[in-house]
Amino acid sequence: MIGTKRVRWVIPCLAAIFLVTEVILPTLVSAQEEVASYIRRYKDREASTGFYEQYEVKPRRMAPLVEVPGVTRGIFPYSPSAAKVRIRTRLADSHWGIKFYERRRCEECHIRETRDIHTTRANLTCRQCHGGEPIASLGHYYSPFNPIRKHAYVCAKCHQGANASYASYIVHSPNPALASTRQAFPVLFYVFWFMVILAGGTFVVFLPHTALWGARELFVKKEKAEGESKD
Amino acid sequence: MSQKTRIRRFTPVQRLFHLLLILSFLTQGSTGLARLYIASSWGKSLAWVFGGYDACRTIHIYVGIFLVCFFVAHVLYVLTKINWKKLSGPDSLLPRPKDIKDFFQHIGWFLGISKAPEFDRWGYWEKFDYWAVFWGVPLLGATGLLMAYPLTATKIMPGWGLNVALWIHRIEAILAMCHVFIIHFFIVHLRRHNFPMDRAMFEGSADLTATRHERPAWIARLQEAGELESKLVAEAPAGRRAIFYVFGYAAVVVGIFLLIGGLVNSPYITW
Repeated sequence: MIGTKRVRWVIPCLAAIFLVTEVILPTLVSAQEEVASYIRRYKDREASTGFYEQYEVKPRRMAPLVEVPGVTRGIFPYSPSAAKVRIRTRLADSHWGIKFYERRRCEECHIRETRDIHTTRANLTCRQCHGGEPIASLGHYYSPFNPIRKHAYVCAKCHQGANASYASYIVHSPNPALASTRQAFPVLFYVFWFMVILAGGTFVVFLPHTALWGARELFVKKEKAEGESKD
Repeated sequence: MSQKTRIRRFTPVQRLFHLLLILSFLTQGSTGLARLYIASSWGKSLAWVFGGYDACRTIHIYVGIFLVCFFVAHVLYVLTKINWKKLSGPDSLLPRPKDIKDFFQHIGWFLGISKAPEFDRWGYWEKFDYWAVFWGVPLLGATGLLMAYPLTATKIMPGWGLNVALWIHRIEAILAMCHVFIIHFFIVHLRRHNFPMDRAMFEGSADLTATRHERPAWIARLQEAGELESKLVAEAPAGRRAIFYVFGYAAVVVGIFLLIGGLVNSPYITW
């Protein structure tokens, strides 16, 4: 009988503990973490908010604070005859209208942007630079990435003293070998291929040259050094 | 008294330049590859030797600055030592039309269709190696300094220039390392004529018989001018020769380690 009484007390106690922890502990969220690089777990200084050790939790979906009348939803007349299309380079919320956005991760769409030095080596997660929601389009007037303030709002968080020229460094640099880079970043494309041809040309000449030389000397009697026996 | 069986090729200052170049080049190669391959366990091990990822960068920058200064010192040295009257002569390292002829004749000799060329003091491959440093160090030094001090660099150039500088630095460094670790090491250490090692750059002198065989034009010119005797020296003592071999082969081992490790782990590079 005593055992049954104790069991009766256990259930209300567990319920009370659950309620208290619900109040004290942070709100439960589904697993929305972005794994950061392991090269440098802690940096000398914390660069921004939204970065917690190895994991980053996506913020709750929020409406953009800044709206431009008529273009809130990013519908621009593309041409008088064509259908209206969404131009994402000028939106207050560049991800506006993307279905199931809350449950998606940055790299699902921006896979190439996760493979450069800033992300793979410098241990940066997307939101350390791009910030929380809503993420404005790069061309939006109020975006931290707008070239008029990018150096101060983004680059200078880690690179103190960054100027506007510094901010023109292409963080998500395109693959220099691709034909598409010829349009996007022609200087990089041509310099890359010039260097590849220079290196390739050197090896095309000197690798067979060296191999043939090595092989040819196998068929020549090696001369004896001065003072060595002639036998 | 030991016999004078060797002919002097390099002065102590020239050998010191080469020694410093070996040390700084291998340090730059190791620290640079450690950072390039940091995503692989091989790269991490390499970085550990130098104190980690960030320490590799610090060492790379300071040794790079040393290399640039030492290159400038070499240029000044050359300018003071140069014989302007004999600039186009066989003692000069400037390329000559004969080098092109020698190159094709040498290829013909490899294929068994012509006689071996009679090289003078400098072979065309030695001139190429020498001048390769003259394009490599300025290119690597300039792009390296731009990336090491980006805030200063972007005051005189746009930031996207650093994207370009990075790729120039990478490709030129890979070219330099592959050339030295494959071609230069094979020619000076492993080909039959020089095996186990051409000690000329460490000892300062080359074996007279071997030189007479490979560079007959030089020996004939010296004999004709009556200068051969004055250039003959004795072989270094056995202990010093042992040091040359140990040091030379240590450099080869480091180079081969970097080359093979780099090739094997190339899929793990984070560009």
